[in-house]
Parts: sequence; C-alpha cells; structure tokens
Amino acid sequence: MSRARLLAGLVLACAVLVGIAGLSRVPMEGADRSEAVLRLSWRTVGLRVEECRLRTEEELAALAEHMRTAEVCVGRGADYELSVSVGGSEIVRDTVTPSGARRDRPVYVFRDLPLAPGEHRVKVEFAALVPSTYDPGDGAIEYAWEGTVVLGPTEIALITLDPSGRTLVHPGG
Amino acid sequence: MTSAAKVLQHRGRSLLARADAACNALYTWRYNPLYHTGALVVASFLVLLVSGLYLLLFYRIGAPYESVARITDQVWVGRWIRTAHRYVSDVAVVAIAVHAFRMFVQDRAWGPRALAWVSGVVLTVVFFICGWTGYVMVWDAQAELLAAEGARLLDVFPIFSEPMGRAFVGERAIPSAFFFLNLFAHIAFPVGIALLLWVHLSRLARTQIFPPRPLLWGFVGLVVLVSVAWPIPMAERADLLRLPTDVPVDVFYGLWVYVTRALPPGGAWLVLAAPVAVALAVPLILRPRRDQLPAPSWVNDRVCTGCEQCYHDCPYEAIRMIPRVDDREGFVGHVDADKCVSCGICAGSCAPMVVGPVLRTGRDQLGEVKAFIERTDLSQDDIVLVGCANSAAGQGGGRWNVPAFPVSCIGAMHTSVLEYLVRAGAGGVVVVSCPPRDCWNREGVGWFEDRVHHRREAELKDRVDRRRIRIVYAAERETGLVAREIQSFRSYVGGLDRASSEPSIHIEAVCEVPEVSVAADVDA
Repeated sequence: MSRARLLAGLVLACAVLVGIAGLSRVPMEGADRSEAVLRLSWRTVGLRVEECRLRTEEELAALAEHMRTAEVCVGRGADYELSVSVGGSEIVRDTVTPSGARRDRPVYVFRDLPLAPGEHRVKVEFAALVPSTYDPGDGAIEYAWEGTVVLGPTEIALITLDPSGRTLVHPGG
Repeated sequence: MTSAAKVLQHRGRSLLARADAACNALYTWRYNPLYHTGALVVASFLVLLVSGLYLLLFYRIGAPYESVARITDQVWVGRWIRTAHRYVSDVAVVAIAVHAFRMFVQDRAWGPRALAWVSGVVLTVVFFICGWTGYVMVWDAQAELLAAEGARLLDVFPIFSEPMGRAFVGERAIPSAFFFLNLFAHIAFPVGIALLLWVHLSRLARTQIFPPRPLLWGFVGLVVLVSVAWPIPMAERADLLRLPTDVPVDVFYGLWVYVTRALPPGGAWLVLAAPVAVALAVPLILRPRRDQLPAPSWVNDRVCTGCEQCYHDCPYEAIRMIPRVDDREGFVGHVDADKCVSCGICAGSCAPMVVGPVLRTGRDQLGEVKAFIERTDLSQDDIVLVGCANSAAGQGGGRWNVPAFPVSCIGAMHTSVLEYLVRAGAGGVVVVSCPPRDCWNREGVGWFEDRVHHRREAELKDRVDRRRIRIVYAAERETGLVAREIQSFRSYVGGLDRASSEPSIHIEAVCEVPEVSVAADVDA
C-alpha cells in the first residue's frame, strides 16, 4: 500500500467518523417561543357505582352454605366529564372512562393543551356522571379549579390533584 | 422472489461493488472495513462494554444528570470515554446497516441462512432499545424526549398498573427507582445481545468475530482521536415543565421520535413495526420458488472413504460423520439438507469426488472441463481464466480476450480441474476469486489456496507445475486488476518452457485415508 493511499484511507476514515459524530448531535428544532402548554394530569380512584339487590330464597338455596350472602352488588367505575374553558371559551369537553378492561381501575387524566404564552383565565371541571340522587358517601363527585395561569414562552402549567386527592391545584401558580 | 426485490438487489449490488472496489484501493482487501462490518459490530460491542464499565463507576441513579456532567468534566479521561461510548454506538448502527445491506444484495438471507438473518434483525432491535435506555440515563433534553415518547407508546399496552406517561408530567420529581430500572435494563440488554449473537453465529463454522488487528486498533484509535478532538457536550437538563426547544439529537437513536410524535400511538407503532416486519419477511421474499431451489449436497456413501475432509471444510457445519450402514467399518459423511446452502465447498474438498451438490461434484466438474478443452482448442500460449461468479471475472473472459472457464466459487472447484487444464496444454491458468473476506461461501478462497499451495485435502498434485497457476483476488468491479494480472502473467509464462499437452490425462481421485481408492480416467 503506498503512503498516498494510506493517507487517503486515513482521511476518508476520519471523514466518515466525523460525519457519524456530527450526526450524533444534530440540533433539532423543538418548540417555538410562541408556544406554551396547559397540562392536566391527575389520577383518582373514582367513584364506584353499584346496583344492589336482595337474593331470592331460591337463589340462596342454590348456593353453598358459606356463600349465602343476602345482598348481591354489581358495580363499575363511574365515567367523568372533563371540561376546560380558557378565557370564557370552552376548549375541551370530553368523557373520561376508568381504566381497566372491567373499568374497575383508577381514572387517569393526561392532556397537553397548547396555549399562547401570556395570562389566561382557566376553568377546569371534572365531574362524575352519576344520577343526581346518587350518594357518594366520602367520595368526591366533582373537582374544579378556576384561576389565572401565567405562561412564559415554552412553559408548561400543570393542573393536578392536591396530595389529599380532593381538590385540583395549580402548583406554583 | 419478487421482481422489486430483484431490482433492489441488482442496484444495491452494483452500488456495493463500487464501494468495495474503492475501499480495496485504499485499504486493500485485507483491511477493507466494508468486508468486516459484522466483526466491527462485535468490536464496537466490546468497546461499549469496556467504556460502559468505566462510566458505570461514576453514574448515580439519584443524580443522573449531575453525575454524567461530572464525567464530562473529567477532561483527561471521562469526557472522551463518554464521547467514545456514544460514537461507537453510532458506528455500530452504521456497521449493522452495511452488514445487513451486504447480506441482502448478495442474496444471503434465505434458506439455511434465514436464522442468521432473523436473529440479526432481532439483535438490531435489541441494540436500539439498549441504546434508547442509554440515552435516557443522561436525563438531558434528548433523554426527556426519548423517555416521554417511549412512555406514550408503551402506554398503548395495558401492562402497567399506572400509565408510564404520567411519570413524566412534572407533577413530581422522577423517582430514583426509574433510573435504577433503566440502568438495570441498559446492563441487562447486552447479556441478551451476547446470547443473540451466539444464535446469530450458531450455524457458521470457525466464525471470525473480530476484525484483523490493524483494522481493530485503527478503528479504536480513530474513535479515541475523534472523541478527544470533538467531545460531546452536555445538553440542557431535562425540564418536564418546559417544552424542549433546540435539542441536540443523535439521529441514529433519536430521529424516530420526530417521526412518531406527530402520530397517534397506534400509527406510531405501525411506523416503527413496519420496517421490522419487512426485514423479518426478507427470507420469505428472497426465497426462490421451490422448483428453482438449488439442490443441497449429497454423499455417495458407497465410495466415501470417511476421511472427514468435507466435514472439516463445510463453512456451515452442514456435514457430520455417521457410522457406515454397509458391511465396512468406519464413518461416512452425511449432509444435513436443512443446513446446506449448496455452496459446493465440499465438492472441492473431496479427493475421491463423491460429495457435492447434484451435478457439481468433482466428477461433474471434470466432465465440464473436458468439454471446455474440446471446444476451446487451447494453444500453448493461451492463458485460461478460471473465474469465480462473484469476482471481477464473473462476467467471463471476453473483455480480456482469453478463454474463460467459469465456476460458482473457486472453493467449490476441485483442484483436478486445474490439473486438467495445465496438463491439457494451457500456457497458464489465472484463477480469479472474490477477496477472501468477501467470499460468498465464507471460506472458499482460503480453502482453495490451501489446496493449491499448502497440501490441504484435496490438494493439487505435485506433478502440476504451479508456476503456471496464478491466483488473483479481484472484487466485482476490479476488472483493471485482472487485466494487469493477465498481462503480467502472460509475460511471465512466456519466459517458461513451452507447455506440453498430454494426449491422455489420467486423474487420480484418491484420499489420504485410502480405504477405498477410486480412479477417474478422463481422456483428453
């Protein structure tokens, strides 16, 4: 191998490696400074809506002795309605269902809503879709938050549940 | 095979042949990196293991970004080791791509080779996932992008009790447990890669898993040089409550995010899964129709001496020795048709010429060379070109104005063919093969050279004048090299005594374990 070829080979190898190194740090254009986000994120166990009835004598007799409970209940997690208004205009109205194949898992909310940077009057409502006569006991039926959100360029404002799980809050707001 | 695949193969092969020829000119065939892409991936894997072990010493799951920043601040060692770790992982991706491309265009991805292909695809996917976990470890802006997008896609499957995506909403700090799991995955995946590599190579005999030393150390040295000269800086720390603006992305591991994040999770999975599915289907796409499948080798066990040479020479471990079933003692070769790629290397290895693909055994080759001599009317000044189908001589000898005897692979050619040509009166025989590291049948070139010059069974007999034989390694596009070699060989042969033509050629077909000796007489 001649020196010239060896040198050319080294130069080519260096060029390829530098090319690969360059491709490992390509600056990709991300969010614009005119973008910001209102993020809704929370998890709640949700309400369980149950329909109960008493077993008949025949039904009880058909069961094994140790399984003869008088009342039988069929339940499911309640759906929730999420609505978000910004500056008086409603931008989201949606039904959120509990997770899990049997809808017996918690309810998760995770939405990123693009907003322009600046000050916004925001109202968030999250209400269980249950009959008005339903008695939730200790469980909350409605969550709501209303207030002003100040968003800088590329900032994300978070609305979430407080640690007690009873109120929506805007941490740092 | 579909016509689209054929066109792709044809164009790809042409492109690769040009690149091979250019790199042969610069690095010679011995150190041409394009011939060593598989070995370069293994070398990269080892460099990643070693550099990764060093980085592991300083990485803290409780403070991932800060610990990586501290490594980057170690000007003398940590900075370039971290950079080399990253660059080598990128080089590995490029090497994998070229390696797969070569196997595809050279039609080496179906039949018995399908296992290597499919395991290679799985290896690539695991390699990518391992790289993904590595980038998340840094917990910078790119890590945030990769983690959040990965979580979004994983949340499609109902396998987590809580959606993973909620871990990255900024509601609370990312727990150390996440980084511990990620680190565990990043260390566990290489174990899987090693196991898959074993599967990938399991059907190959005598695998050369490392590149030649000059190439290996040249590669490592160059990576270190570029890493020192152009280290990777720290990107901005991940901030879950701020949209990422300008993120430096490694296109080899992070570009997919920019493709998938505009799509719903189902569409994103489709985009990611489609190329993998197509890659996995390649063995089915390339497989010829049943009536066009090449016949596997077979052994005439009545004549087989049990010398074991075909068993040793088979590059795919498709031949094993089994006890004879006739009244003689000893063993006989047996071809496993499921592993045989019909390369014919065994035909070249068998002194008694009793093994090989149908119509391509040594005896069949002698019949062909006899017919060639009869129709060529060789003169004593003629140089005969014996060309491997995948070498520069694959298109025949017309362009050099010499009679050409084409063979599928010179490793599949029995040395008796050479003996026959020389004894029939050819002035000389130029054997043109593809470069050894690009042998489509892996070891054909090496075995052939050993048979001609180093007495490997079935060796070229001593009575054959080796001065009249020249072996040339010339890749598909290196036709100029063949022209030069023919010219120089012609002048060299011109200085020798005039070649003599034997009126009756008797080729002995005997093995060094001559329990059975078989003679094949062919009259010229």
